[in-house]
Amino acid sequence: MNEFLEHGLNQNRRKFLSKMSLGLGGLALGSLMAPGLFNASNEDELFANVLPHFAPKAKRIIYLFQNGAPSQLDLFDYKPLLQKMHGEELPASIRKGQRLTGMTANQAKFPLAGTKFNFSQHGSNGAWFSETLPHLAKMADDMCIVKTIYTEAINHDPALTFFQTGSQVGNRPSMGSWISYGLGSENKNLPAFCVLLSKGKGNGQGVYSKLWNNGFLDSIHQGVQFSSGEEPVKYLTDPEFIKRGDKREILDEIAALNQESYKEIGDPEIVTKIQQYELSYRMQMAVPEITSLQNEPESIVKMYGPECLVPGTYAANCLLARKLSENGVRFVQLYHQGWDTHGNLPKEIEGQCKDIDQSSAALIQDLKQRGLLDETLVIWGGEFGRTNYCQGALSKDNYGRDHHPKCFTIWMAGGGVKPGVHGETDEFGYNINSLPVHVHDFHATIMHLMGVKHEEFTYKHLGRRYRLTDVAGKVINDLIS
Amino acid sequence: MNLKKWTGFVNNALWVVNPFLLLIAFFNDKLKLGMYLEWLGKMHPLFLHFPIVLGILIGIYYLVDKKGSVDSNKLHLILVGNAFLASIVAILGIFLSQQDSYDDSLIFAHQWGGIAIAMIGWGLIYLQQYNQRFKNNYISRVEFSIVYLLVIIIFTHKGAQLTHGVSVIGFPQKEAAEKTQVIKVVTDSNATLYARAVAPILQQKCVSCHGTTKVKGELLLNTPENILKGGKDGNILTANKDKEAMLFERIHLDITHKKHMPPDGKLQLTTEEVAILSRWIKAGGDFKTKMNELAKTDTLFLLANKYTPANNTKAEVKTGLPDLAEYNSNYCTVNYLYHGSDAIDVNFFQGNFYSRAVLKKLEKLQDQVARLNMQGMPLTNEDVSIIIQFKNVENINLNFTKLDLKAIEPLKQLKKLKLLSICGLNFTESELSNFLKGSTIANINIWSSVIGKTQLEKLASNYPKTKFTIGDNLESEVLKINPPTIDQDSSIITKFLDVKIKHLLNGITIRYTTNGVDPDSITSPIYKNTLRLNRNTNLKIKVFKPGWISSDIVQRNFYKSEIRPDSIYLISSPDQKYLGDGAKTLVDLELGGSNFTNKKWLGFKDATMKFMVNFNQPRILHKAFLNSLIDVGSEILPIVSISVEGSNDGIKFTKIAETKFPYELTKKDGMKDIKTFTVDFPNNTSYRQYKFTVLNVQKLPLWHQSKGKKAWIFVDELFLN
Repeated sequence: MNEFLEHGLNQNRRKFLSKMSLGLGGLALGSLMAPGLFNASNEDELFANVLPHFAPKAKRIIYLFQNGAPSQLDLFDYKPLLQKMHGEELPASIRKGQRLTGMTANQAKFPLAGTKFNFSQHGSNGAWFSETLPHLAKMADDMCIVKTIYTEAINHDPALTFFQTGSQVGNRPSMGSWISYGLGSENKNLPAFCVLLSKGKGNGQGVYSKLWNNGFLDSIHQGVQFSSGEEPVKYLTDPEFIKRGDKREILDEIAALNQESYKEIGDPEIVTKIQQYELSYRMQMAVPEITSLQNEPESIVKMYGPECLVPGTYAANCLLARKLSENGVRFVQLYHQGWDTHGNLPKEIEGQCKDIDQSSAALIQDLKQRGLLDETLVIWGGEFGRTNYCQGALSKDNYGRDHHPKCFTIWMAGGGVKPGVHGETDEFGYNINSLPVHVHDFHATIMHLMGVKHEEFTYKHLGRRYRLTDVAGKVINDLIS
Repeated sequence: MNLKKWTGFVNNALWVVNPFLLLIAFFNDKLKLGMYLEWLGKMHPLFLHFPIVLGILIGIYYLVDKKGSVDSNKLHLILVGNAFLASIVAILGIFLSQQDSYDDSLIFAHQWGGIAIAMIGWGLIYLQQYNQRFKNNYISRVEFSIVYLLVIIIFTHKGAQLTHGVSVIGFPQKEAAEKTQVIKVVTDSNATLYARAVAPILQQKCVSCHGTTKVKGELLLNTPENILKGGKDGNILTANKDKEAMLFERIHLDITHKKHMPPDGKLQLTTEEVAILSRWIKAGGDFKTKMNELAKTDTLFLLANKYTPANNTKAEVKTGLPDLAEYNSNYCTVNYLYHGSDAIDVNFFQGNFYSRAVLKKLEKLQDQVARLNMQGMPLTNEDVSIIIQFKNVENINLNFTKLDLKAIEPLKQLKKLKLLSICGLNFTESELSNFLKGSTIANINIWSSVIGKTQLEKLASNYPKTKFTIGDNLESEVLKINPPTIDQDSSIITKFLDVKIKHLLNGITIRYTTNGVDPDSITSPIYKNTLRLNRNTNLKIKVFKPGWISSDIVQRNFYKSEIRPDSIYLISSPDQKYLGDGAKTLVDLELGGSNFTNKKWLGFKDATMKFMVNFNQPRILHKAFLNSLIDVGSEILPIVSISVEGSNDGIKFTKIAETKFPYELTKKDGMKDIKTFTVDFPNNTSYRQYKFTVLNVQKLPLWHQSKGKKAWIFVDELFLN
């Protein structure tokens, strides 16, 4: 026997390692027999077939986002103690060293500010409402009021981004995009995710398109922002010299060219582009019919308030949201700006409430009377709450409130939520006594209402599976009917 | 080539073959084999005896040879050969297992047993080669070989059971057949709940001890009759005052409890199965309720409908629900309610594109349609005759369909219908009460703009079993009309300007004035189609409607700009921040708007505003208007004076006019506003060049926060007439 050969056949570390490479060859051979074993799985295909995971309670969502953070203490979370202790210092035992924003962190004193408004109880559950919300108070029995939402962020942008995407840092898909990706559009002539903006007179905070971004999902899932002008979707009307048939031919030709370049380059965004052209072609017919206010009876106008005839107002957006939703748009996202009441709160909040009170109540009522409330989830709320102590100068009937993440109130209606008042804050309205609902829990619960197991609804991106609730969140069964 | 070299090659080949084996074993459910590999699989029974025999011989050798005296090279050769054959046979076995369905637990044991044999064989090569203890110690070799032999015998026997039956080496027995029995599940919607879910659970988890072969506790759970008969302690389905039903109790006891069923060590019930059984017992434990008699949202229905026996064979797990793609179009979506459900949700959109053929096609799914949304579709009696075939539909939305109540009369036949929405249909009170007679529908949404709320409420009170959602018509509330909008972007009249006024509310009267007086509901002119303006106009509009509070007044100034200069330039420069688009800004026929930072304004503070207007030929001017912004908080105050000089040669200027705008500015005065400042020219003023000097407030008044400083002026648009 040749010694070299013998040496070659001996076992040592180097040989062992090089034999491992033979093993790789074996694996490669095996993979030939199980095609697609080592491929990235096609997630789209995966979810198209399994969602909803179980019978959904809600089919659609209308999210009335109150941008800037409404003061729960002046609207829903009634705290007589604060009125009694008006002007007294916030006890350190309550604050427990909570991190404050740069706006009040350097304040020498934290005088408690009781609400200036009168509260009264409404509905069979005795929910408290401030006098600024007379119309909503009438809907108390349809509302699921959660007093104990809490978040981690203390400033607007991260808090907003957190609520919308489940992460304080940008670049993740918005809730609506997740829903669009998972459940698709009911009506194929409208986007699954629409965004409507309005602005109150109160101190405002901007909204940015990143809030309705698709993140790493296909861009077909990004929110379509409707303009606040008379034409909700711009450039939808064809120029006079282009006929519908011509348009079809143009689109077919463009699609053929795009297909060619998709074959060549393989960028999935090209396919998205083709889909978007097709969708907008169909939207040309659908949107004018759906957004027209001409067919709304006078009683509807009275219900939402005549402001609903002025494009770009919150009332008009509520009405439009109802129309889009009943036409099968899965997720309608409204933003109403102007709730950032650091100073001059009583006056500003009165204005804001005037904007939203009647039309929000009307939206619930309108869905209900059409038999759509059971399958439509309406959510109302901001990105965090406001402090029980005053920011700036405190007087008997004027005060301001800073950002407060540790508890605040949102309400939901329809879509399988349990009407009533849920959760209890302490008598200072600063900490949570029972039923804490984290933003992740809130997301998990909403997903659950839509028939989606939030833990199984993921998207693989950069080698990791992402979900709306990241690695946290539990369904709060107390909120579900 | 000598034998030793071959041994080396085969030894190396094991490093390829074994990872390959492990991979296909782990992912055997994903394998897709071609014809030739399947054929190779059939060689498994042919080859399997070689490694078995070889392995047993090796085991015996280790038992027998106390000293380990065999030549290590020859032993190595045999061990390598054994390992290689074992791996190849295991691979072939996996290929073979793809072709037929076998008992799952047997094939699992046999597959992984076979792989274990291959792996032990492989490891043995290295044990023999490198492990000193193994080489020198007889006892450890004996221990090894006993294990090795047992593994070979037990797991190859599993293979024999696969092909020759479980009792391949036992005496013929009848009982064995029952163990591998396939659990049958009846999935059609007409099946009883018992057949769909209860019987299969009992059959799989209970009947082995409570069946014909064994009858523990005198209880048989194999047929409804036997279940009803109960066991030695009597009935098992009925609860007493102080005790739950026995079956219910036993399955809920803790697994450590002596009486827990199934006993510890037997195949346990899953959580879903426990839920199905307990809900079935609680619901009365009857054997006749059919699946389609349960509400689609009932938890028991949902659980039972989803139920598939655990570890059942692959073929039966698939629900096999048909793809619904063919029923879907851009204007109609047809989907299962959720994954795994056979109930179907149908939505129609956009009435303009409605086609009856689409609805007709759904007849094929008539038993499955559970929800039907046809809001706003132009339906007729014929459509209704199709809809009534959907026997299991629970929720129908016919809002705004233009059907009358007579047309939807047949819907009352639909026994499962729980929710009917007929908002916005046109009907009278008596038609409605006729429709409601004999209706069993639990929920009706009946909001309508035709019949008043009070009448509807009165009518509804006659039908206490039905829940009506009537809605809010708010007939009595008096509201204020929202202001109209002016549909004309420009505010500048060159020759004339057509203005349209828009308002979306029906039945309104729009009145307007052009002289600055507030419009009233009697004398002011009524707006019809278009207003044509041809001079400076202060347009005021107000909207009236009986029963409503009339709107706020909308007003806007329109400016006549008859004469356009041939050129214009600035003599003094505006502030760096507010340069606008230079002198052009003044005559671009575009007004500045309310925001002074929008670059449509020229802002002056330290420099006095001076500009020159040129004509190629001398031109008569009567009037000049300058628009200026006032924003007291931002230190922008009104113009103090405008003076104009004229010239024909550009050198010698004559003063033509000077207008002062004297007024006392108080705190409240014009906090934010746009004002027009007018200069009148004497008759027959005709020059080629006009020089304008516009003065701003030099000292802000005492009450202003920046008192004493110079004030800003912001100017845009010059109108010459």
